[in-house]
Amino acid sequence: MTTSDITLQVKNVTKRFGDFTAVDDLSFDVRSGRVFGFLGPNGAGKTTTIRMIVGITIPDSGGIDFNGRNISPSLQNGIGYLPEERGLYKKMKVVEQLRYFAALKGMSKAEADKRIDHWLDRMKLGEWKTAKTSDLSKGMQQKIQFISTVLHDPELLILDEPFSGLDPVNVEFMIDVLSEFKTREKTIIFSTHLMETAERLCNDILLINKAKKVVAGSLREVKASYGENLIAFRGTGGNAVLEDRSLISRVVTHSDEQELHLTDGINAQEVLKKLIDAGAVISKFEQVEPSLNDIFIEQVGGQQ
Amino acid sequence: MTKFLAVVKHEYKKVVLKWSFLIGTLLLPLLAVGFAIVPAIIFSLKGDPTRIVVIDRDGSIEPRLKANLSSERMAARAREAAERSLKEIAPSQEEQLKRTSQQFTESFIFLPYDFSGMPPDEIRADLTAKILAGEIDAFLIIPANIEDPSSVFEFRSRRAGDIITNDAFRDALNSAVRSQRLAQANISEERVAELSRPIRFDAKGIDERGEDKDSTGIMIASLIIGLMIYITLAIYGQAILGAVVEEKETRIAEILFSSARPFELMMGKLVGVGLAGLTQLSIWVLSAAVLIAFLALQSDLAPLVASVPQISPVMILYFLIFFLLGFFTYAAIFALIGSMVTTVQEGGQFAFPPILLLLVGFYFSFAVMRDPGSSLAFWTSVAPFFAPIVMPVRILAQTPPIWEIGFAILINAAAIAGLVWLTSRVYRVGMLMYGKRATLPEVWKWIRHA
Repeated sequence: MTTSDITLQVKNVTKRFGDFTAVDDLSFDVRSGRVFGFLGPNGAGKTTTIRMIVGITIPDSGGIDFNGRNISPSLQNGIGYLPEERGLYKKMKVVEQLRYFAALKGMSKAEADKRIDHWLDRMKLGEWKTAKTSDLSKGMQQKIQFISTVLHDPELLILDEPFSGLDPVNVEFMIDVLSEFKTREKTIIFSTHLMETAERLCNDILLINKAKKVVAGSLREVKASYGENLIAFRGTGGNAVLEDRSLISRVVTHSDEQELHLTDGINAQEVLKKLIDAGAVISKFEQVEPSLNDIFIEQVGGQQ
Repeated sequence: MTKFLAVVKHEYKKVVLKWSFLIGTLLLPLLAVGFAIVPAIIFSLKGDPTRIVVIDRDGSIEPRLKANLSSERMAARAREAAERSLKEIAPSQEEQLKRTSQQFTESFIFLPYDFSGMPPDEIRADLTAKILAGEIDAFLIIPANIEDPSSVFEFRSRRAGDIITNDAFRDALNSAVRSQRLAQANISEERVAELSRPIRFDAKGIDERGEDKDSTGIMIASLIIGLMIYITLAIYGQAILGAVVEEKETRIAEILFSSARPFELMMGKLVGVGLAGLTQLSIWVLSAAVLIAFLALQSDLAPLVASVPQISPVMILYFLIFFLLGFFTYAAIFALIGSMVTTVQEGGQFAFPPILLLLVGFYFSFAVMRDPGSSLAFWTSVAPFFAPIVMPVRILAQTPPIWEIGFAILINAAAIAGLVWLTSRVYRVGMLMYGKRATLPEVWKWIRHA
């Protein structure tokens, strides 16, 4: 991997608010053309990190490089940012509003108008062009907000909880729009606490908790590294083995099967043998990859 | 720079394209025109003439009263009164005076009435009945002995509320009785009039070039200028507060800050709203100039215009400069408050201190009007926060030396630079703080660390 593959590089960034450390010596790379899942529980430091990337706040120490150059206001035009806390000018017309945001990203009026029309059509909001924002439904406002984020065709897209407040149909629609960006080699940083969505969309993930990095890497690698000791099990008997905490650290019971979390250093073959020896009737014993949800709960839940 | 201009344009359009701006901008001049013209029109409307019966037993007063109410005499009196208040009377005004006196004469019709042989009580009862029947409108009973100080002139009228007519009538009667008394005492009326003529008291201020200037109009004009600047500063300052809080409350600030420098955003807002204020003020000043020019052509209101002090284009330039200085001073304070509070309502509560500051400046301008040369006038007209209101008033009352004006501009520009620096530090942190209002120690920390 060369540095030209890296769109964004966060290097040993720390941010404190008084005595509280919001981000503690955090480093990660975001590779170009990929969807980067930025995960973590509430208050982990996600929004603070994103605010430093988009130039709203400045790190106390460490640095952030965008395309190999230290982040600065002149680079802001290359980034599209959809904050978690959304807002539009209530009394302004949709088109005026989008024009203003486009102008702030350095676009000419003619260029902006062309793209506004394109995106309003794409979002099926063409007839609302001259309506006041306050007349739009919440979902429509959400889409307008999204348009304002992508209007200047940014190289890096940062989306903080982009699907909150959208109905399932619109979520699917937005996912379609996002995959379009992915095929156009745009880089997307995607912050969420919805693990299922992250699992569907992301190539790489970073999980942070309490201001620090917990897990990082490609989704595949991360899952593989957690996959060795998770078994999907269906069967009867062998309860003594299942309750042996030296073999199985945790059992999660689903509707028709159980999830066995093996204790570190224990081999799946060994457990299978012990179950058979104990006279268990097994209809399913499968080594599975953990869901992102599992990894999240294991990494974050345990510490809380 | 292009982003800064985009913010300026956005903020300017947001204010100017609002209905309230349009109404405020056009309504004030219209109201002013209304207040100036409507009363003049109303007073020039002629009512029905008053039909009056005069009971004058020896017939010495009635002819004199009639003569006093004649148009020539009324015109002469009106002219005399006008001469006292005005320096010279233009030909068009002469015409106007004649028309006015004509009106008064025509408003009385003397009806003959035969009262010979009737006792006074019967006359009174009969005339009262006539008034009630609507045959006459008023009657006057002149006492038998006008020399007796206790004698009473009985005037009864259906139109007791017509003050102007009654006043003119009383004046005419007074002078008729006086001339009769003088005649009875064998004193020449002309001689008395000549000797009791009032002195000509010429009260004028002297401006820096040693030329006379009329001081009556200055007071009013200063008050209007002071009030106009006070009102516009309060309105546009609060517009800034509203715009800042809106962006904070709706979290738009986050998108804005990810697109442009906070300083650009804040200055763009101040400049945009400031230009909107300047637009409104210019429209007002312009329409005032047009109004005054228009009134000067209308002879009816010429006396009003004559008292308007001379306002030179340089003065208007000064007013606009000091308006802008005031605007940036107070807008910076309002922006600072806006980035500290969380909701528009909360912002309204905290708008009080700067408004109070403005009001103090406005009150100082009264002291300055009375004595524009005092040291209080000097200090309040150069001090930050007060100068934007006090200095224009002082310039109008008695233009201070140019270095004092320059000094005031310099001090206020420096104060603005400091305030803007302070506000920009609070703004960039405060705009992203949600949930609770910032305390003063917190704000102090932002200023030091930002």
